[in-house]
Amino acid sequence: MSKVKDPFVRIVKRDKIHPLLKVLFYCIAILAALTVGGVLLIAIGVNPLVLYKDMFTIGMLGSRFAYKSVEGLITIFVPLLITSLALSLSFKMRFWNIGGEGQFIIGALAAATVALKFGESMSSFSLLLLMFLSAMLAAGIFGGFVALLNVRFKTNETLMTLMLNYIALYLLRFFGETQAPWNFYLSDESVRPVFQKFAETAYMPTISIGKFSLNISFLFAVAICVGVYFYLKKTKHGYEISVVGDSANTAKYAGMNVKKIIVRTMFFSAALIGLAGGFYVSGAKVLSTSVTNNVGWTGIIVAWLSKLNTFAIFGVSLLISIMQYGAQAASTQFPIIDSNFADLLQGIILFFVLAADFFIRFKLVFRKSAKKQGGKAA
Amino acid sequence: MAAEYAIELRNINKSFGSVAANKNINLKVRQGEILALLGENGSGKTTLMNMLSGIYKPDSGEILVDGKIVSVNSPEDAKKLGIGMVHQHFKLVDIFSAADNIWLGAEETTDKSAKGKLSQIFLRNKRFTEIEKTAEKFGFQIDAKKLVKNMSVSEKQTLEIIKVLYYGAKTIILDEPTAVLTVQEIEKLFEILRKMKAQGHSVIIISHKLNEVLAISDRVAILRKGEYIGTVNTSETDELQLTELMMGKKADLNIRRSKVEKKQPLLEIRDLTVKNDEGAVAIDHVNFYVRGGEMLGVAGIAGCGQKELCEAMAGLRKIESGRMIHEGESIVGLPPQKIIEKGISMSFIPEDRLGMGLAPSLSITDNMILKKYKQNHLNPFVDRKTARKDAQEVIAELEVVTPSTEIPVRRLSGGNVQKVLLGREIKADPNVLITAYPVRGLDIHSSYTIYNILDDLKQKGVGILFVGEDLDVLMALCDKIMVLCHGKIMGVVHANKTTKEQLGLMMTGALDLTESDNGKPVGIAKDSNIKEGVQ
Repeated sequence: MSKVKDPFVRIVKRDKIHPLLKVLFYCIAILAALTVGGVLLIAIGVNPLVLYKDMFTIGMLGSRFAYKSVEGLITIFVPLLITSLALSLSFKMRFWNIGGEGQFIIGALAAATVALKFGESMSSFSLLLLMFLSAMLAAGIFGGFVALLNVRFKTNETLMTLMLNYIALYLLRFFGETQAPWNFYLSDESVRPVFQKFAETAYMPTISIGKFSLNISFLFAVAICVGVYFYLKKTKHGYEISVVGDSANTAKYAGMNVKKIIVRTMFFSAALIGLAGGFYVSGAKVLSTSVTNNVGWTGIIVAWLSKLNTFAIFGVSLLISIMQYGAQAASTQFPIIDSNFADLLQGIILFFVLAADFFIRFKLVFRKSAKKQGGKAA
Repeated sequence: MAAEYAIELRNINKSFGSVAANKNINLKVRQGEILALLGENGSGKTTLMNMLSGIYKPDSGEILVDGKIVSVNSPEDAKKLGIGMVHQHFKLVDIFSAADNIWLGAEETTDKSAKGKLSQIFLRNKRFTEIEKTAEKFGFQIDAKKLVKNMSVSEKQTLEIIKVLYYGAKTIILDEPTAVLTVQEIEKLFEILRKMKAQGHSVIIISHKLNEVLAISDRVAILRKGEYIGTVNTSETDELQLTELMMGKKADLNIRRSKVEKKQPLLEIRDLTVKNDEGAVAIDHVNFYVRGGEMLGVAGIAGCGQKELCEAMAGLRKIESGRMIHEGESIVGLPPQKIIEKGISMSFIPEDRLGMGLAPSLSITDNMILKKYKQNHLNPFVDRKTARKDAQEVIAELEVVTPSTEIPVRRLSGGNVQKVLLGREIKADPNVLITAYPVRGLDIHSSYTIYNILDDLKQKGVGILFVGEDLDVLMALCDKIMVLCHGKIMGVVHANKTTKEQLGLMMTGALDLTESDNGKPVGIAKDSNIKEGVQ
């Protein structure tokens, strides 16, 4: 050809990609992440194969208490799933709700308030109903307020939701650490400040299948997942969310009440997260200052990794829950490893999946193959 | 210069994914000539020029400058080779002065006399006079201290041209330079181009407007669907031949204007005042009316209130004062949804084409139902079945090129995007259609399709307000033309009785026909629905 200097490698946008190839790329990414994690593990003298086996089977293999592991997994899976789903609602509208932590806490706090105040005086069904309704309402208002400020005064929702996380967290800590006659959140029996356990009427019911008891919040979570799918894909509300997210100008032009849609969607998003908080405390039977288990943050990762696809959110939050719970389970075998390793691995996986995304959208053309292509065309 | 050709392109290929934008293109530009690059939308004109200016890299082929094979890997390379491009969307920093915009990219390449490093760190006041001097050398008048944000479109374009000249460009590429200019400004631009040619510069001007190509160029190179068709001498060709080369078939260049019997005024605007986003008066006590079966053109320099006027009538912008009467009923203060339901359809194609009216990431189907998804209040679900049928009909009727109805609108080419938008508005069966720049950036074939659609609607008795930019089109298509200047009406003229010069003078405010001698108030119908004295 010529003296024209071609760069060694060029990035070319892919036109289409076979879905199987896409899956393959993601699998390679996860394998690569596990390999990098494995190298780290070998460096500290842990056999990665054994650890990974324990981790991804969440310690069920050869354990007489395998059903306990599934129960434990569900306790952390349900809040993560619901939170991620809820966040996908506001993200779809390009409304950056990073206040999942705070909304979860407010939901948990509201449910706990009802449980502690009326636990003795109400039937289990109506008590639970009241707990969850108040959890949704409180969190919904907590989040909807930010949206209201946003549409009214154009405040920045990212900053607002972020700051409110800390307000919620320290409010919870305040109730958890202040010993005073008015503080009904704390137990009377302990000298140190300890959260009061709920009355039995406030416990989340379970369905027994042999020894295994299924927390019914799991069924609710699955139902919410299907519901969110239909809400976004089929309803007028869902349609409005996608139009507002895509172009607020177009939405206004089409006669949509953009402000109302933003406030409403944010209310729903926060209310669902609050519900997750309510479910969680009702299953845990007591409040705690680490009640969120970081779902407000992890949920953001889940929602983005899933590209806001509802069913992908189910898969990704299951995978992350398995890793988190599995790391805990595996740590009984390897004292040197703790649950932080799951977070580390999660981070590495995230990086590799993002890299896979790049290769799914683009391909690299090297100098040699570019010439070949040119030759063919000419 | 020894070489006969300033620029030579040999066998250039460029693909985006599976779409071949340029196929085996050969193009030669002589020293000191004005070459017009003509082609319809998507024919690959801009892609080709972007490769010459280093924004894209050809997949294969050679670029020769002054007879030597070169490699253009970046705009910086192009600058060094003496190639400068003025893009359709100006690349200027709004809050900088003219001089600083030039200075921004200058120090490395041209300021060879710079004394040491210091002059590159500190901005010297001398830069203003230096740049003014350079501009004068090329025959430009420029206020080097004026901020870009205070400049008119024409001034910005001049600044872009001075910029590339200052950087030492021998060959200047202009991408659709006339799209944003008035008739008078276009004449000024052509004067500048001729002057540059006289000084030995080569000019490549991208366009799809035949009359301009014929007026300014020495030779015309034609591209069609990514392929090079040929180059003809301007003096030996005419509009018909060029159209045929460009479209690959014979075409009728007459815009159809049907005679339709006049009906009652459908939409009447009285004494309307509207403010823009900055709070300044954008529409100033305006009177006009549109009858059924009538097309009223709106002419005016870009940004003289067209957008605010359209938004006010669609209920998207609050009006300060005045009346808007639709079939005898006031629409002032109604929410957009109610105005849509009354059968008033507004479509505004902004500069970026997608900003208002379409949701770019949503499918054609989803965009079809944008304005009527709310119908049937009891049903909480979106009726996509009807929408899909509508989408298929629009695709068939308007010849939209798309693989399916479920493709996101942003993946369609500009012409197809506009057809989708207009198709939806027509499907809504409006009685008043307000359409601003419906053919913005479209090629001849697509434009004519749209003109015919609008004329069909007019025959059906729809009242049409056509906000346009091309005066030839306004004069051929519309029945009457209303001219705006800084939000004021300069007069309403019959399209077949006016001239481009008259319109041009009215657009700049030099001619005001509202104070004409016969004392007839402008923009108020004889058979108005509004009874005087009745509020």
